[in-house]
Amino acid sequence: MQFPMGNAALRNVSFEIKENEFVFLVGPSGAGKTTILKLILKQLTPSAGTILVNNMEITSPDFNQTEDLRRMMGVVFQDFKILSDKNVFENIAMSLRIQSVSRSQIESEVQEALDLVGLKHKEQAFPAQMSAGELQRIAIARAIVGNRDIIVADEPTGNLDPKTSWEIMKIFKKLEGKKTILFATHNSDIVNGMRKRVFVMKEGELKKDIKKGGYDL
Amino acid sequence: MNEIFTSIKRTPYQSFASFLILFFTLFLAVFLFGMTTFFNGILSYVETKPQVTVYFESETKESAIGSIRQQLIDSGKVSNAKYTSKQEALKIYKSLNKNNPLLLEMVSADILPASLEIYAKKVSDLPEIADQLNKLTGVDEVVYQRDVIDKLLSLTTLLRRVSVLILIFLVVVVFIVLMTTTAFKIALKKEEIELLRLLGANHSYVRWPFLKEGMFFGFASGSIAFIVYYAIFFILQPFFSSYLSGIPDLEFLALGSYGLFVWPPSPLFILLSYVLTVLAGIGIGYFGNYLSTSKYIK
Repeated sequence: MQFPMGNAALRNVSFEIKENEFVFLVGPSGAGKTTILKLILKQLTPSAGTILVNNMEITSPDFNQTEDLRRMMGVVFQDFKILSDKNVFENIAMSLRIQSVSRSQIESEVQEALDLVGLKHKEQAFPAQMSAGELQRIAIARAIVGNRDIIVADEPTGNLDPKTSWEIMKIFKKLEGKKTILFATHNSDIVNGMRKRVFVMKEGELKKDIKKGGYDL
Repeated sequence: MNEIFTSIKRTPYQSFASFLILFFTLFLAVFLFGMTTFFNGILSYVETKPQVTVYFESETKESAIGSIRQQLIDSGKVSNAKYTSKQEALKIYKSLNKNNPLLLEMVSADILPASLEIYAKKVSDLPEIADQLNKLTGVDEVVYQRDVIDKLLSLTTLLRRVSVLILIFLVVVVFIVLMTTTAFKIALKKEEIELLRLLGANHSYVRWPFLKEGMFFGFASGSIAFIVYYAIFFILQPFFSSYLSGIPDLEFLALGSYGLFVWPPSPLFILLSYVLTVLAGIGIGYFGNYLSTSKYIK
């Protein structure tokens, strides 16, 4: 993966993630973690190489199913990206509305997701009334509704204190084995505490692929 | 609808600008539509009147007039030539002046001329027909209405052309204003649009709220333009009625049998004006925002 000015963002990166696997993507800032996530989400196109998601070659010049690809994935961001003029329910429901899901299904799926993230009592609240941890829970709920089998999380605990970060990780733990999760972070406590597969990135290269690893950079 | 009102609340000045420009355009469109259809109605009405009327000298015999009539019909240039005898002319005169006994006393059939009312197949043949009739013996006067028709024809053509030019200009201005205001609204919703795209929303889904808003503005401004126009029209109608008192009911595109009258405007014609205004508004609103979203939402 090269940027237009010629500087390489990623080199020699090759990996495979199995269905329902939980993988941490770790490395210092600028290591290429976000670039990998953007390539998977088809926000960027690689200058060389191939990316397969659910057997779809998303790097093929003929690939024209970006919307379908993104509907398979839920995204969780460091800065939450929760819309301030929509309440909790509406923020989560937008993920389903774009898939033309029926009202009753939206209602039941959102309630289920709210239950999972522990915000059932706050569905009518607006983002301004909520804490950072609660906003991230909404983002997770939005990422899991609508049959999204892959969760791409880009530093989801980056803006949270350690206690809240662990609360968020408990939600991710509940999703373990049900969704494929690619979790980019440089929070070593979390990575070491979870003991999951770890991809270690450094200077745009995949340095290590550790099965039940920790953050030992 | 909530989405539209939220957007209006968020960008009140841009929304007001879009509404106002659409309102002025559609108000002018209703006005020009009314004017053009009115003059077309007048033109159609005048065309139904005899285009050439020949008055004969009192000595001219009925048989001679009959033969002139036959010659005209045989020429193939005349669609109809209606003969009015002196007695029929007197009857018409009497019916027109039945309320004025003094005028009735003074006139007898002898002083009224027999006449032929001639309708040409083509307006362009009128000068030739009039010239031929002028040369015939026994003809007293040829009254020829080509000038009136020509003037009305050129007036309606001019009005139609000017209307089209003004409307094209205004539609271009509307598109520019809508594109600018919509671009501003898109910039305000940038975060939401990016998020929707990341969640897998297609272009149509992202565009739809903007298109809906454009159509809503078109509908609302079209409806208000229509209400304002007809409110002014009905306030001024007594004045128009006295000014146009001699003019009969004018049909819209010869559809009088369907109840479509330009003057006085029939309910069906008013309904048609409303539907056309609102459809034009919705169309302009939709395409204005469609162009804008095509440009700014990638």
